Amino acid sequence: MTNIADSNQAHSKTHWREYFGFSTDHKVIGVQYLVTSFIFFLIGGLLAMIVRAELLTPQLDVVNRSLYNGLFTMHGTIMIFLWIFPANLGLANYLVPLMIGARDMAFPKLNAIAFWQIPIVGILLLLSFFLPSGTAQAGWWSYPPVSIQNPSGHLINGEFVWLLAIAISGVSSIMGGVNFVTTIIQMRAPGMTYFKMPVYVWTIFSAQLLQLFCLPALTGAAIMLLFDLSFGTDFFSPFKNGDPIIYQHLFWFYSHPAVYVMALPAFGVFSEVIPAFARKPLFGYKVVAVSSFIIAIVGTFVWAHHMFASATPNWMRIFFMASTMLVAVPTGVKVFAWVATLWKGKLHLDTPMLFCLGGIVMFLFAGITGVMMASAPFDIHVNNTYFVVGHFHYVVFGTVTMAIYGGIYFWFPKITGRMYIESWGKIHFWLTFLGANLNFFPMHPVGLQGMLRRVSSYDPQYTGWNIVASLGAFLLGMSTLPFVANIISSWLRGHKVGNNPWLASGLEWTVSSPPPVENFAEIPIVTREPYDYGEQISRVNSDLHSI
Amino acid sequence: MQQPSRSTNNSHQEAHQDHLPLGFLIFLLSESIVFVSFFVTYAILRLKSPHWFPDGVTGLDVSKAALNTAILIFSSVIIHFAESALKAGKVITFRRLWLFTVALGIIFLFGQALEWKDMPFGINAGPVGATFYLLTGFHGLHVLAGVILLLIMYIRSLAPGNYEAGHSGVSAASLFWHFVDIIWIILFLLLYIW
Amino acid sequence: MKLFNIILLALFVIVIIIASNYLGQQAYNWLPTPAALEAQPVGDLFSFLVTLGSLVFLGVLGMLLYSIVSFRAAKGDKSDAQPIKGNLTLEIVWTVIPLILVIWITSYSYNIYQKMNILGNLPIVHLHNPLEESAYAAENPQASETIEVTARQWSWSFYYPSSNITSSQLHLPLNQRVKLLLKSEDVIHGFFVPNFRIKQDIVPNRTIELRLTANRIGKYQLEDSQFSGTYFSLMKADVYVDSLDTYSKWLTQAKNQKPTLETNLAAAEHKRYITDPAHFHWPTVVPAN
Repeated sequence: MTNIADSNQAHSKTHWREYFGFSTDHKVIGVQYLVTSFIFFLIGGLLAMIVRAELLTPQLDVVNRSLYNGLFTMHGTIMIFLWIFPANLGLANYLVPLMIGARDMAFPKLNAIAFWQIPIVGILLLLSFFLPSGTAQAGWWSYPPVSIQNPSGHLINGEFVWLLAIAISGVSSIMGGVNFVTTIIQMRAPGMTYFKMPVYVWTIFSAQLLQLFCLPALTGAAIMLLFDLSFGTDFFSPFKNGDPIIYQHLFWFYSHPAVYVMALPAFGVFSEVIPAFARKPLFGYKVVAVSSFIIAIVGTFVWAHHMFASATPNWMRIFFMASTMLVAVPTGVKVFAWVATLWKGKLHLDTPMLFCLGGIVMFLFAGITGVMMASAPFDIHVNNTYFVVGHFHYVVFGTVTMAIYGGIYFWFPKITGRMYIESWGKIHFWLTFLGANLNFFPMHPVGLQGMLRRVSSYDPQYTGWNIVASLGAFLLGMSTLPFVANIISSWLRGHKVGNNPWLASGLEWTVSSPPPVENFAEIPIVTREPYDYGEQISRVNSDLHSI
Repeated sequence: MQQPSRSTNNSHQEAHQDHLPLGFLIFLLSESIVFVSFFVTYAILRLKSPHWFPDGVTGLDVSKAALNTAILIFSSVIIHFAESALKAGKVITFRRLWLFTVALGIIFLFGQALEWKDMPFGINAGPVGATFYLLTGFHGLHVLAGVILLLIMYIRSLAPGNYEAGHSGVSAASLFWHFVDIIWIILFLLLYIW
Repeated sequence: MKLFNIILLALFVIVIIIASNYLGQQAYNWLPTPAALEAQPVGDLFSFLVTLGSLVFLGVLGMLLYSIVSFRAAKGDKSDAQPIKGNLTLEIVWTVIPLILVIWITSYSYNIYQKMNILGNLPIVHLHNPLEESAYAAENPQASETIEVTARQWSWSFYYPSSNITSSQLHLPLNQRVKLLLKSEDVIHGFFVPNFRIKQDIVPNRTIELRLTANRIGKYQLEDSQFSGTYFSLMKADVYVDSLDTYSKWLTQAKNQKPTLETNLAAAEHKRYITDPAHFHWPTVVPAN
C-alpha cells in the first residue's frame, strides 16, 4: 500500500490539458461544468445589461422590438439551462463522490458525455442570433401559438434551434439524474447511512429525482411543439381543436419543480457553510435533510400557480393555491434551522459565510413574496408583471447565485489547493449584495403599479424605479470583476493550503487539497455523525497527504 | 469530522459494484414519463373534442393492432425465457430465443408500417392524426432501438466468456423490451380500445 | 432567560408588530388607484399579506442580525461552539405555527376569491367536463351591458352588440355590472386593467366571460398582459369609466357617427420601420390594422 500512500501529493496530478478534453474524472468534469457555466453566466448577464439599458428610458431607443424579445428570451434560457443548472451540477459532480466516500460517480463516461452536451447547447443558442429569422422570441416559456407563428416561414428558424437546444439539454440532464441517483444510492462508503450524509447530498438527491421524473414532461411538450412548428400538426392549435393550455400544463409540470432543482442545491450549500463558519452543528439536521424530499414531493403538485390567470377553472386555482401555500412550510423550516445554527455559535464572517447569509436574507424576502403570490386573488393582479420578475430574481440570483458564489469560495481551496484573496471576496460580496437589491427590489413596487414583464417600452410613470433597477444591474455586472480577478490570480498563484483550511467537517476535508485522483487512498469507514462540531475532535489542517 | 478508520482489508472490499441494473431502471422510469405526457395530451384532447375522428372514419382498425399486440406480448414472454436460459447457463438456447425475440420485434415494426400505409387520415388531420402518429411513431422508434440493442447484445454473446462477470447488459436489454411492451399495451388500450 | 433579555425580546416583538401594521396600512398606497368593486377586497388581501409577511421577515431578520452582532468569534479563535444539535419543542413550534399561518392565509384568500366573483373559462363541451367547468360562482347581480372584447396582434377592439357599435376605446358605465366576452383572433393575449385588479388570459377559439363593476370615474389603461409577439408592448387601449349620463351620450354619438379610430400604435410603429431603409429587424407577423 505504500505506493498509493506516497503518490498522494499535495498538488494535483491532473494535467491542465485534461480540463479541455474528455475526462471521466468527476473532479475534472466538475471544474469543466463550473467554468463553462460561468462563461455562459457572463454572456447571459451581458444580454441582461442590454435589456436594462433599454429599460432605462420609457421609450424604445436601444434595440428594435424583435431583438429585444430575442434578448430576454435568450437571457432567461441561458441563465436557467446554461448557468444555474450546470453550475449546480459542477459543484455536485465535484463534491458528491467525495462527500459520500466514493472514488467517482457510478457512470464516469456518461458523466463526461452529459457535460459535453452543454457547450453544444450554448453554441446552438448563440448561433441562432445569426439566423435570418433571428432567435426564438417568445420568452423562455415558448407558449404556443405565438412561439410557433414562424413569420419567416423557414424550416430552420430560431424557435426550431431553441427546441433542439432544449432537447439536448434535457438528454444531458437525464443522464446526470441517472448518474447522481445511482451514485448516492449505491456508492456510499461503509457506515455512511442516509442519515450520516451531509445535507448537501440530500439536496442533490432530491433535486436529481425531480429532474428524472418531471423533466420528461417538458421533453414531451417540446417534441409536440416542434411537430406543430415544423410538421403542421395540431397538438396546440386552438383553431383546429388543439389546446394550447395543455402545453402550459406540461411546461409548468416540469418548470415549477425546476425551480426546486435550482434552489435545493443552494439550500445544500447553506447547510454546509453555515455550520462550518458558526463552528456549530446544523440545527435539526434530520429534519432539514428530510425537508429536502418533502419540498420536492409537495413542489411537484403546485405547478398551476403559474396559470392562475390562464384558462384555469375555479377548483384548479383553489387547489393549487392551497398546495403552493403548503410548500412554504418545509422551506421555512430550513430557514429557521439555519438561523438557529447561527444562534450561540462562534461566527466567522469570511466570504463564503457572507454570501450564504446574504443569500438567506434575500431568500427570506423571496419566500414571503412567493407566499403572497400563492394567494390566487392577489396573484391575478401581479401575474405577468414585474412583481413576479422581482420575486424570481430574488430566488435565482439572490439565493441560488449567491449560494453558488458561496460554494465556490468555500470549496475553492479544496479544488485548487490554493486560497483565494479574502479582501477581494468581501468586496465582491458587498458589490453583489448591493447591486442585486438595487436591481431587483424596484421590480416589486413597479409590478404592483401594473408594469408588465417582457415589455420593451413602458408608461413613463414607472421610470424612476426602472432607473434604479438599471443602475443596480450595471453595478451587478461590474461586481463580477473582482470575482474573476480573484479566482484567476488565486488559482495561479494563491497561497497553498493543506487538507482542511476551514477545519470543517465532511469527508472531502480529510483528503489533500486538491484531492488525489482516486479521492481516497482507502475507502473510509464512516462512524461519526455529520456536522460534529463541538465534539472535542482534533480536526487538523495538515500539509501531509490524506490520512 | 467523519474520521475514517483504517482497515487493512479495505482494498479487497472495493469489488466493483454493478451499477447498470439500478441506473437503467431509473432511466426507463424517467423515459416512461415522456410517454405519460403524450398519453395525457391525447386523453385531454380526445375528451374535449366533439368529433374526434374525421368524417368517414368511425375508429381505428382494432383487429390488426390486436394481432400486433399479441406478437409483442408473445415476444416479451420469449425474451423472458431467453433470460432464464442464460441464467441457467444455456447460452445456445439463450441465443436462439433472443434472435426469435428480434424477429418478432421486426414483424411488429412491419405491422406498424403496414398500418400507417393504410391509415385513413394523416398526421395533419387535427389532433387525432397528430396524437396517433406521434404515439405510434415514438413507440415504434423505441421498438427499433430495442431491436438494435438486442442485436448488439446478440453479437456480444458470440464472444467467448462474455458472461463471466455477469449478464447485466442482457438483463437491461430485456427490461427495455418489457418496457416497450408495457407502453404498447397502454397505448393499445387508450388509442384502439377507447 | 435573563430579565434583560426578556425585556429586549418583548420590545423587539412590539416594535415589529407596530412596523408590520404600519407597512400593512401603507400597502394600500402601493397599488394603483382602485376603480372597480373587485379592487377593494384585493387591497384588503394585499394589506393582510404585507402585514403578516413583514412580521415574519422582520422577525427572522432580527434574529439573524442579532446573531451576527452578538455571536462573532473572537479574533484568532478557531475553537468550536457548543454542540447544540436541535430542540424538539422549538422545531415543532416552528413547523406548526407556519402551517397554521398558511392555512389562515389560504382560507382568507379563498373568501376574497369568492367575493371577487370572477368568471373564468366557459365550458366548451356540452358534457360536463370537470376540466372545463366555469369558474363563475354566482350569476347575481345580472350584467347590465355586454361588451365583446376582441384582441388581435396588436390592438384591441370593443363591440357593443346592444347598440351595434365598434370602438377602439372601452367605455364602461359607472357602478353597473358589465359582462365582457373576451376573444382572440390569433394567439393568447391577456386582458389587464391594473386599476380594476383583474386579469384574464384570452385563449383563441374560446370566449371567456369576465364580469366587473367599475366604480370610479376616470381614464385607465388596458394592456395585453400575456406576451403575444413583436409589438406586444404597444397593445394598449384607453378605458373610460363614465357616469351614466356621459356613457349614454357616448353610445348615441358612437352610433350616429363613425368613431375616429384611435391610433393603432403597433401598426404605426411597424409602418415607420418598413419605410425606413436604415432599419433592420427580424421577420415579424404584420400588425393588423
